[in-house]
Amino acid sequence: MDEEVKRILYVQTTGTELPERSATVFFLAASGAAMDIEVGIFFTQLGPTLLQRGVPETLRVRKGGVTLGHFMEQARDIGVKFYVCQPSLELTELKMQDLIDGVEMIGGAAFNSMALDADRVICF
Amino acid sequence: MLDAEVARLDCTGLVCPLPVIKLSKAIKAAVPGAVIELLATDPGSVADLEAFEKQTGHKVLERSEANGVFRFLVQRKK
Repeated sequence: MDEEVKRILYVQTTGTELPERSATVFFLAASGAAMDIEVGIFFTQLGPTLLQRGVPETLRVRKGGVTLGHFMEQARDIGVKFYVCQPSLELTELKMQDLIDGVEMIGGAAFNSMALDADRVICF
Repeated sequence: MLDAEVARLDCTGLVCPLPVIKLSKAIKAAVPGAVIELLATDPGSVADLEAFEKQTGHKVLERSEANGVFRFLVQRKK
């Protein structure tokens, strides 16, 4: 592991129920990646609903504004990784095939290990 | 200071996080030592450029403001 590389792990717990709370994590993650920080977002609780196919291109963060997909692509394009956990998929009644491509499924042990490896964990 | 190797990156009208994202991409595409002139109207870009420099090591050689447009010269580290 390269000790020079800084890591930030974001945790997104809010989903489509509150669109105005959906975009910040992608702004901040994209800014971090632009600063050469290794950035991941872990979607848990209701967070995975943001990753559902069809949601990014239709969910508007604020009335008349751009869609969530715009911010999500900005983050992915610069290298932010997306992770989801199994129990929260059950909670939101989603399956991996319901989610957009490029999301990695991890478990609780992997999440805790990632959190310890990260320089900071930031929760939304 | 300014010579033909300075590439201009016009981020006027763009808001956070776009100026920093575009700067990051431009720096990655540039050769070591190359200088990029970034223009931005986002008032947050002043603090963001400071953080960018601190975190990445790419130097902000100059910063100025005129008529609401911030101008930065950023040099890719060697």
